[in-house]
Amino acid sequence: MSSKKVSRRDFLKLGATVTGASAYLAACGPQAAEPAAADLPDLTSGNSIPLDELIAAAKTEGELTTIALPHDWANYGEMLETFKAKYGLKVNELDPNAGSADELAAIEANKESKGPQAPDVVDIGVGHTANAMAKGLLAKYKVAGWDTIEMKDPDGYWWAEYYGALAFEVSKPAIENSPQDWEDLLSPEYKGKVAMAGDVLKSNQSVMTVFAAGLSRSGGDKSKAAEAGLQFWKEMNDAGNFIPVIADQGTIAQGETPIVMEWDYLALANRDSLAGNPETEIIVPKSGVIAGPYAGGISAYAPHPYAARLWWEFVMSDEGQNIYLKGYAHPIRFNDMAKRGVVPEELAAKLPPAEAYANAVFLTVDELQEATTYITENWRSVVFGE
Amino acid sequence: MGITNEKLTAQSKGDAPMARPPSKRASSSIVNWLPLAPFFLFASMFLFLPSISIFIGSFESVDGGFTFDNIIALFTVRDFINAYKTSLTISAITASGGAVFGFLLAYAVVLGGLPKGLRTFMTTFSGVASNFAGVPLAFAFIATMGNNGLVTRWLESAFGFDIHAGGFTIYSVTGLSIVYMYFQFPLMVLIMAPALDGLRREWSEACANLGGTSWHYWRYVAFPILIPSLLGTTILLFGNAFGAYATAYAFSGSFINLVPILIGAQMQGDVLFNPGLGNALALGMVFIMSISMVGYISLQRRAARWLQ
Repeated sequence: MSSKKVSRRDFLKLGATVTGASAYLAACGPQAAEPAAADLPDLTSGNSIPLDELIAAAKTEGELTTIALPHDWANYGEMLETFKAKYGLKVNELDPNAGSADELAAIEANKESKGPQAPDVVDIGVGHTANAMAKGLLAKYKVAGWDTIEMKDPDGYWWAEYYGALAFEVSKPAIENSPQDWEDLLSPEYKGKVAMAGDVLKSNQSVMTVFAAGLSRSGGDKSKAAEAGLQFWKEMNDAGNFIPVIADQGTIAQGETPIVMEWDYLALANRDSLAGNPETEIIVPKSGVIAGPYAGGISAYAPHPYAARLWWEFVMSDEGQNIYLKGYAHPIRFNDMAKRGVVPEELAAKLPPAEAYANAVFLTVDELQEATTYITENWRSVVFGE
Repeated sequence: MGITNEKLTAQSKGDAPMARPPSKRASSSIVNWLPLAPFFLFASMFLFLPSISIFIGSFESVDGGFTFDNIIALFTVRDFINAYKTSLTISAITASGGAVFGFLLAYAVVLGGLPKGLRTFMTTFSGVASNFAGVPLAFAFIATMGNNGLVTRWLESAFGFDIHAGGFTIYSVTGLSIVYMYFQFPLMVLIMAPALDGLRREWSEACANLGGTSWHYWRYVAFPILIPSLLGTTILLFGNAFGAYATAYAFSGSFINLVPILIGAQMQGDVLFNPGLGNALALGMVFIMSISMVGYISLQRRAARWLQ
């Protein structure tokens, strides 16, 4: 997740320049793309617009501006290409490596501008949604199939599009019996073999690793999970099973960190690039399955409001959701799609079994913030006894 | 200033000016400083401005206001105090260890009567090794001395020797110190070799002529001459270890509580975000480093005086 990063200041600067330029253009040029409002579907209700009407409206806009969609992240490259080909719209991609805070800053800086620097749609960490709503940066919209989206704002200001579940990435030559659940990791046979892919003080993924272990212990009670998680990792450290190396592909290949906790889509992509050297197994634990979702939203100041809504209708459709799946990101409607049998078998076969995800736990924004504060503040003192 | 045109022309026309015209002297002093301009530009951009920004940033709260909380936290939060302690300990251990080991090695290469080619080899190796740090260095040690490391495994299979039997693990303050030593002692060799070259043969001969033994020579002649540069380099090594970040992070995250690791967590993680606190932690490091640099400079002056 750290790869989504850019200087926020650059963005504001760019935004300011463009705001000025487009204000100038707006003053001189004819008001081209302003068809009579009566012809177009209503935007204020936030209800799903029938697809044919939406396509027609989006075509009058002709363009969509996206931000922070790296082509190798959750298969966004294919997502964008398919969307362009399908609806014949032009897509203007702003900085693919921007972080969530940058995306919101871009909306804010371009409030007065309908120019090419104003994003129509954003893809942000769920933790950032509260801030975005408080500042009034998002417009509400409920795509078709809204009820099957498992995590969303009840009013439709944002919704999760995909998620990863924390999984164990196990290097097979080093580990004979793969651990199946969190408690297994405490077994003496895994002495000096359990690692995280980031530091708890620095990476959300590792904070969630602590939380997920606790969730498994507390029997799914979210309010006790943070504390139980720290206790779990204290035992892990005391037993000598925890190895503090920041695991990456290199340390997995070399065998120093044979068991690593990671978002499944990163672990599965790792498995592909290791290509059997060494063989790895990706296991979703039996209990304490925690989901790390990303949230989609529409800018309240979107220059192309219909194209924006069409984008989300596409992304959230079965077709769009399966494109995420190809990049190993779990579509948020996965359970519904699996039930209806619309997940292509060859895609499903590359993932851990669907049942493993049935109990994935989603945290609300408040829960996420509370857990993060508790875990980072007590990590050193509880786990390392300092 | 105040030089008339006539005077300039007169002087330039005059043959063989014994004294340089004042105008030329003035301009040449500017010319003399000019080549230093890139240095000053560099120093201000990468040393002074960042230091000032760290200082100002230390008093900034998360929402951009003014606060003393960050500075107060340095002296009150147990994690921070411990981090400074650990950082100072590791830096002190590896600086003194690197100094002793590096000095002996430099001595062996320069004065120990070893074949000449070995010196070239040693200095080349030291030049490379002293710059070998960060993720590659951490991985190199993990892959050789880690739990599944080459050396660890080899000792086990060839001799049945388990390096962990005595409770040793490379993921500890001791282990990290060993890793740091890898770039510490070569730096010592690089700096001490020229200093040892500076010891003149006449001095030891004079000492011998006066009936002094080798012990006397080292105790009363060579060591007093070398000690300022020895201590000065030790301080340099101290700073070298004190600021190391990437190596420690890749090696063991926040498992070993170091100040640079805490700064990294506040500035660039996606969990904690309080740049003001990160700046304050950095300010503490700048303060400690300034003290050691002042010590280094004054010792360096003494060394230079002796060797003239």
